[in-house]
Amino acid sequence: MQILQEVQDLPSAGNIKAQWVSLWTGPAVGAVLVVALLAFPGFWPPMSPTLTAEQVARYYAEHTDWIRFSQITFNLCGIMLLPFFMVIVVQMKRMKTQSHIFAYCYLTAIVSGATIFALSNVFFLVAAFRPDRNPELTLLLNDLAWIVFIAPIGMVLAQFLLLAAAVHFDDGPDPVFPRWVGAYSLATGVAITPAAGAAVWQTGPLAWDGLLSFWLRNGAFAAFVVVMFFVLRRAVLRQAVAEGVVAG
Amino acid sequence: MNLLTPERYITTTDGDPAGKPDVRFLTWFFPVWYAVFGVIICVLTRVTPPPRPDVTTAGTVAFFTEHHLTIQIGFVLLLILLGGAPLTNGLVLYHMKRMSVGSVFGYGYIAAMSVGALPGFLLVGVCYLTATFRPDRDPELIGWLYDLGNLSYNGSLGCFTTAYVVLAIAVLYDKNGVFPKWFGYVTVWQVITEVIATQFFLFYSGPLAWNGVLSLWWAVVVFSVWLGALIFVLRAATIGEPVDSPGLD
Amino acid sequence: MLQRDAPTTTETRVPGDGHIWVMVLGDLLIFTGYFIIFMVFRTMNPADFLAAQQHLNVNIGVINTVVLLTSSWFVARSVLAARAGNHRSAVRFVYSGAGGGVLFIVLKSYEWAVKISAGHTNSDLFFSLYYVITGVHLVHVVIGLIALGVVVRELNNPGRRRLMVVESAAMYWHMVDLLWVIIFGLLYVMR
Repeated sequence: MQILQEVQDLPSAGNIKAQWVSLWTGPAVGAVLVVALLAFPGFWPPMSPTLTAEQVARYYAEHTDWIRFSQITFNLCGIMLLPFFMVIVVQMKRMKTQSHIFAYCYLTAIVSGATIFALSNVFFLVAAFRPDRNPELTLLLNDLAWIVFIAPIGMVLAQFLLLAAAVHFDDGPDPVFPRWVGAYSLATGVAITPAAGAAVWQTGPLAWDGLLSFWLRNGAFAAFVVVMFFVLRRAVLRQAVAEGVVAG
Repeated sequence: MNLLTPERYITTTDGDPAGKPDVRFLTWFFPVWYAVFGVIICVLTRVTPPPRPDVTTAGTVAFFTEHHLTIQIGFVLLLILLGGAPLTNGLVLYHMKRMSVGSVFGYGYIAAMSVGALPGFLLVGVCYLTATFRPDRDPELIGWLYDLGNLSYNGSLGCFTTAYVVLAIAVLYDKNGVFPKWFGYVTVWQVITEVIATQFFLFYSGPLAWNGVLSLWWAVVVFSVWLGALIFVLRAATIGEPVDSPGLD
Repeated sequence: MLQRDAPTTTETRVPGDGHIWVMVLGDLLIFTGYFIIFMVFRTMNPADFLAAQQHLNVNIGVINTVVLLTSSWFVARSVLAARAGNHRSAVRFVYSGAGGGVLFIVLKSYEWAVKISAGHTNSDLFFSLYYVITGVHLVHVVIGLIALGVVVRELNNPGRRRLMVVESAAMYWHMVDLLWVIIFGLLYVMR
């Protein structure tokens, strides 16, 4: 994206630049998070909720370093996805036929959702901090870590529903996002909802290592980030052209 | 006025839908969500009113055993519906931004309430669900989860105090009359009940414990009055906004 | 000078506006709840409460009562002065009233300090209720001082001087005074 010389000092250009940088933090941070994801032994395969306290304690003792590395990376970089999501907030505020209330709700939902993710990292790290802790305590910490990681999908669900609602209400002549984004967002929200069951079931697809709660939930979320990168890229470019910041 | 759809809840005196469509939707969502939330916290999970602090460890295990089904149903529902909090807080922010004092109090409100969502709301759900997840856990750990859940839920103070303080000041300063002044005063009562709630951390029983008649029950009454008033003033504020006023910046 | 929507002085009207009445009546109601709860626990533990109550210093309670009553009188005078258009006098009365409020806070803090260092803390049921009730009242006094500050600013501003602001703050202050009188009677005096 090449900003035109004559407008490069204007606030509108600054706005586009800031959005562009925030947008690209998505893939940049995403790449780091993928590395951490592959490095976390607890995901390959996902740790079973049915492990006993001794098995969990042994797991943490055997894989301490990789658990620490990956969770520290998650904690450090997970929140760095916030700027990427803020581009969605900014674009929601550009929707013409609305009061923009959804954008502010979206912002709050993102903040709370990210905080919950950070909390799960802390639980994993505390569990890994003293591998010789009483196994019952390690089991408790591991339970808390997994339940907090997988089950509280409400904030994330709100994000998807809000985006779908915003797109639905943005039915004017020049919508910010294509209509299918709303349906896709809604579908992603539906896909992650069953994960709430991870706080109850120890086996089956709803358990935290199950098909729905682990694979579908995390896969759908990751896919959403990837898809939205391209959607946002187009939206920011269109905004840049419309505001005369970039040659159309 | 009836609550079945946004169009019938937010109306002018002639019965036509009033206010902006997206704001109207959230104004309708607000009491609906709080009603569901009320059923979850009062009937299903029994965190309001809370169980007693002055129980033995065996007592905490018995509590979770007796109520484990409704706790699991209630809190799993809450995990899914938790996202309603940003929506309801966003609606209040929206109207606060219409006040003549500008946006800073609104941002303070939503920032403080966002903080409250985690230690003050989610944590009790996580603790109770973790306790019911493995009923054969060491009873001491179950007692630990019981305390952590109840103290965090009832005792998360600063976030809500901050939110109520900025809301009260904003309403009292506002010259646009978005919310009536009496609501600002009612909000100050909420601040006082949060201050009294500090006593939860000091007592196992009596009028000032986390289930105490002064510190909790009376405070729940005050909260219900405040919430009812808020629902009322939100409806009036949404109806009162001209449909063609510009969006939030 | 007066706001457009303020009634003329020939009409009889209730002071302040509906909003402050919601505050005052509601606040009194909430405190009534606290008083009832106190009385219930007193009835359940009469000997303990009586024994603990001996440690309260009635003299300082009386002084505080007189201080607040006097400050209420000053605030009432300030309302009369404001109604008569005598703003400088009204501001002086408000300062005097606020001074009473400050003195009350100082005396109460001293009283608490003495009690706590003598070992009468939250561990005793009577004292825990005492601290909570007088503590909430103290917060009300602080808020009242802020309200009086708003009145001073209002009266000093020639473009404003709305009588409703002065009357509302005065009503709040009288309520704070009334609550203290009840607290004094219930906690200090009644045996």
